Formats: sequence, C-alpha cells, structure tokens
Amino acid sequence: MFSSSGRRIDRVTILFLSLVAVGFVVATFDVRSSGGGTSEVLREGTQSIFTPFQKGVDFVTRPAVAFVDGVSNLAGLREENERLAIQVRELESQVQATDALEEQVVQLEAISGLAAPGELATVTARITASGPSAFDNVRFIDKGSKDGIVAGQAVIDEDGLIGRVDIVSANAARVRLITDPIVSVGVRVLSTNETGIVTGRGDGPLRLEMFRAKEAVQRGDRVVTDGSRFPPGIAVGTLSATTEAEVEFVLRGEVDPAARLSEIDYVIVVIGWSPIDAGFLDGEDQTSDAVPATTSSTSTTSTTSETTTSAGDGG
Amino acid sequence: MSRSRVVIALLAVLVAILLQTTVFGAGRIQPLGVAPALVTLVVIGVAQEVESEYLLLIGFTAGMLMDLIGSGTLGLWAMTLTAVAYAAGRLRGRLREGPLNVVAIVFGLTVASQFLYVLLGTLFGQGTISEPNVLWKIVLPGVWNVILAIPVFWVLGKAFGTQRQSWAV
Repeated sequence: MFSSSGRRIDRVTILFLSLVAVGFVVATFDVRSSGGGTSEVLREGTQSIFTPFQKGVDFVTRPAVAFVDGVSNLAGLREENERLAIQVRELESQVQATDALEEQVVQLEAISGLAAPGELATVTARITASGPSAFDNVRFIDKGSKDGIVAGQAVIDEDGLIGRVDIVSANAARVRLITDPIVSVGVRVLSTNETGIVTGRGDGPLRLEMFRAKEAVQRGDRVVTDGSRFPPGIAVGTLSATTEAEVEFVLRGEVDPAARLSEIDYVIVVIGWSPIDAGFLDGEDQTSDAVPATTSSTSTTSTTSETTTSAGDGG
Repeated sequence: MSRSRVVIALLAVLVAILLQTTVFGAGRIQPLGVAPALVTLVVIGVAQEVESEYLLLIGFTAGMLMDLIGSGTLGLWAMTLTAVAYAAGRLRGRLREGPLNVVAIVFGLTVASQFLYVLLGTLFGQGTISEPNVLWKIVLPGVWNVILAIPVFWVLGKAFGTQRQSWAV
C-alpha cells in the first residue's frame, strides 16, 4: 500500500515538489519573455502537431455534437427567434437611415476627391477547436500562412470584431479573442467620435477606458475600431454601462461585444490590412499607425477617419 | 509497472485533450456555458492504474500540453495537474471504497484544481480571479466530471484491462 512505506512517500513528495518547482520556473520564464522566444516556438510546434488531429476529431464528431447542442438548446430557440425578429425590425429601420448617410458620404467623397471605399481582402475560416479550459480565450481556425494569414490580423464575423490572429502555422492559426485580458483594442465611440481602449476581462463585457474624453458617453452607444491597429470601423460592441463618467478626466465603462463569441463557427480574417511591424505584442507602447494594404477602408466602415491616436494604441 | 500502462495513460491524456478542445470546446457541448474538465478527470482516473511517480509525470505532461495549447501562462496547468496527480495518488485507495467516495474525490479534486489554477493565474498576472462568472467556471466542471466519471472510468478500465468495482461499471 502506498502509505505503508515512509521512504517511498518521501520520494513521491520530492518528485512532486520538484515538478511544481519546474512548473513555477517555466511560468516565471514565460511571463518574463511575454510569451515569446522559446515559449512561442513550443506553442507553435504543439499546435502544428495537434491541429490535424483536432481537425479530424472535429470532422467526425461535429454532426453528433450539433445534434446534442441542438437538443439541449431547444427550449431557448423560441426566445431566440423572438429576439431576432425584434432585431430584424430595428435593423431594417437602421438600414434606411444608413442609406441616406451613404449617399451623403458618396457626395462628400466626390467633392473632396477622396477614393471610394472598397473591399479589403479577407479569408473565411472555420473554427476547429478552442482552448482546453474555461479560462482560455483562444480559438483555432483551419486556415494558416498558406492562405495569407499572418499574426496580428483582425478576425471578424458578420457581427463585429472577434479577436486577432495570435499564432500561425502553415494550415492553421490561433485566434486570441477580444475577451482575453491581455488583448486591448483601440476604439472610437461613434456618438462622440472620441477614442479609447477596450480590454478583455476573460469573459463577459469588455472594459472601456477613455483618457481624454470631453463628452459623456451613453448606454447603447456603438463602439468601433479606431484604425490604430485593426481596420477602422469594425463593430466592437455596445456600451452597456459607465462606472465613472468624469468628463475631461477618465471615462470608464463596459462594452458588450458585438460578436457572439461563444457561438461562432466561421470567421473572417482580414488579410488586406498590414499589422503593425513594431510594438506588435500586447502591452507594448505603440506609436505608429497601421498601414492599410489598400487605400480604402473596409466595407463595414461607418467612419472614414484615419486619425492616429496614442490613446487607443493599447494593442 | 508495465511500460504499456504508462503509454496507455499518456494516450488517454492526449485523447482527453483532443476531446476537450473539440467536442467540449466553445460553442459545442458546454452545459450552462461551462465544459467538464476532462483532462483532470482522466488524471484522477489514471491514478488507479499507474504508480505514483509515473502519475506525477503524467499529470505534469498533461498540464504542460494544456498550457501549450491554451492562452494562459506556460506552466500553470502543469503545476495544477501535478498537484491533482499527487492528491489522486494519495487518495487512490479511497477511490476503490465506493461510489460516494468517487463522487466526493472527483468533485473535490476537480473544483480544487480549477480554484488552484485561478489562484496561480492571478499570482502570475492573468487576473483570472476577477473574471466574470469565475465561480461557475470553478464549480460546474466538478459537477460535470462527477457525471462523466462513470463512462470515463469504465473506458479507462477497459483500456487498462482491469476489473472495476461494480459501481464504476
């Protein structure tokens, strides 16, 4: 029996403590290197090994999982249907207003001699796997560097920003979600046109901070990317609460993500936008603006501003 | 100790990681929005099949693989699952004493592992403890693991070719 031998208990305990010590050293090393260097190489290697198996398991189990998921969500489908019907009516009225605005934009562009907005190149990918625990904010997609994907590119869906490409291999990539605490996105509040930073909290609403706000923001205000890191005008979310609305000081609030991050199956990677060469990693100070691969803005852009702002350059 | 048992244990861990990231991944089977902690459950289950030293190494390896695939700091799950393996090795005798012990140990170790990971994540600057719904993420995997313990332990028993108690079958 295990407990009958004191000598053996000691050996096991020593091994346990040694492994914990190794884990502690590895964690410290990883924090010190900001996830780069050897850690990054190890992560890329592991991802390359696991990806084919994940794709295989995903392919085999997807129908069964979809069936189980559908059955378990049956009760919520009616409520979801009603919610979507209301949303459709709201969107139809918004579309009418947007059409008028688009016409104005076209006229203004013609007057000012600006180039007409065009499409940025994109790649559609399917999510094949996610992180191994409830505390991970990553997704794995089935497209990689062979499809033109590089680290740092924006990942969106029809609702808005999902995250950014984190690690890339030839045929797969890892996407770090905007809910990850180390991801910060430079944003613009459409109602005030002022910029700020949203940061993930691991789950739920994002944290919004606006350091030079001159106007108060309101619940329901839409928040879009400011073009400092990702293409401008991508929907990030809607302001759900303001905790400190001190004008001329710091505005803090919460933003509900526009994209439904827990239910995404397919994503779009914006490859026609060059990620910043320097200051790429989260947490680093970023002083230069991104350089669009084309001279146009995205099709989802609702503002055409290309203003560089240090306040929104959190990563 | 047969090497084949260690190999089977490692294969079980790999399969658990694959299922955790696909079948129990985000947007798939996640009752109440939180998935079971399948890898933790397999480490607990393997405790009945391999010696403590090997169990520790298996736990560490499983945790390191989770760290490498996940988005957190490298080494946190390695420490966590090593601790789970150590505790499971200590409690392996009690695992054979009846279904209530299995429920208590599986639930307790799973919840403890989730809580330990949250603590370590906070210690290493991830701010995990301030995440919304963190309590659900700690407790619910324990509940799901208790439910999954029956099929998972049965499969492990078949894989290792061991005869389990009737309650585990």
